Amino acid sequence: MPEAEVMCQEPEVDFTLIDRIIRDDFNGNREAMIMMMQAIQRHYHFLPEPALHYLSQAISVPLTKIYEVATFYASFSLIPKGKHILHVCTGTACHLKGSGGMVKHIAGKLGIAPGGTTADKKFTLETVNCLGACAVSPVVVLDEKYHPKATVGLLNELIDQVNAE
Amino acid sequence: MKIILDGKEVTAEAGRTILEVARQNGVDIPTLCHVPALEPAAMCRLCTVELIENRRARMVTACNYPLRGDAEVRTDTPFLRQGRKLIIELLYSRCPDSTVLKELAARYGAELGRFPEDNKDCVMCGLCARVCERVGGNVLALCGRGVEIRVDTSFGRTARHCIGCGACARICPVNKIQIGDEGAERTVIIYGKEASRIPLRPCTSCGKPFGPVIDLSLIMERAGETKVPAFNLSVCPACSRRNHARRLAERHFEQYEIEPRETGEDD
Repeated sequence: MPEAEVMCQEPEVDFTLIDRIIRDDFNGNREAMIMMMQAIQRHYHFLPEPALHYLSQAISVPLTKIYEVATFYASFSLIPKGKHILHVCTGTACHLKGSGGMVKHIAGKLGIAPGGTTADKKFTLETVNCLGACAVSPVVVLDEKYHPKATVGLLNELIDQVNAE
Repeated sequence: MKIILDGKEVTAEAGRTILEVARQNGVDIPTLCHVPALEPAAMCRLCTVELIENRRARMVTACNYPLRGDAEVRTDTPFLRQGRKLIIELLYSRCPDSTVLKELAARYGAELGRFPEDNKDCVMCGLCARVCERVGGNVLALCGRGVEIRVDTSFGRTARHCIGCGACARICPVNKIQIGDEGAERTVIIYGKEASRIPLRPCTSCGKPFGPVIDLSLIMERAGETKVPAFNLSVCPACSRRNHARRLAERHFEQYEIEPRETGEDD
């Protein structure tokens, strides 16, 4: 199982942190399960399996149900993601403004396919269908910061900046 | 509440679903994903009917639409038959050797083989996952969504917390879930993949494995107040019958000597 292999090399999950999210931030309220999952994902950039096991025990929701939710929403990931997430919009307007070429360019530059993560766990490249900012297309989002009217040059700059860190 | 069902006026309790009212009045609406004991999920869409409420006609799924006021329901119009025919044809492409679908196809004149077969072996009714939640050990769930939705266990692993009740295999309308005992283990197989594997308990009398090891506390919690005491059997039904018969014979026919029989041959 490829997922299991990836799991093995994952950093230890900090259960005190997860406990803090569950009990302090959301009062252990099982209705807030999705919000807890989002908080866990914000911290680890994906949903580590041990964390979900712990969550299941803590709020008495069967693990199967949590897994169901985690696989349903596209924003949840069970596979580790990079530290920086690069969203490139491939919606109609952005597509017409050449976002397809940008995706191809980044994919080539980072050596990953859309949805993939670089070997050094720095970047994850994702395509999205629309970011609702068609007037300033093509749009690229790096770590939740929007970059309107993006160009290949700008992307190169952004990637180099992160790599220089 | 005035309900007109296929042109006939019928009485109905408020809050009853269209499907319940129709079945009470002998109108058959085909379903694949409906079992009265489980919450309706409207997954198969076969029960779609025409509902005319406040002079507006629309299509609704009968299994999960509660009637709350005056309405007219049509369950078998040419338009609905056309829709059902298409649904059957599409489901058949996923599950080409299903008897249920073949029967439905004959009833609605569906052209089987109109769509290329993809042998998904599942009509995505979700019954197995729903019954597992209610009856079983919460092993199966509908994972993913859209075209990628599938029945799976958590993280796609073989589950160990299955209680081996077999409700999923029993409820599957297309009979695609296999449950079987082999040696001292019971397995549930879905899409050719092992969904669960659990040990069976051996009979304390004959030593043969006969039933799953069940976490009774889980069952008790779900069953609530039961009238009968719950316990895990330690003797298999065949041995239990034999022992009981032997005790009876010994009590009533003391003068005869009962020959101990070889076990495990003619049960």
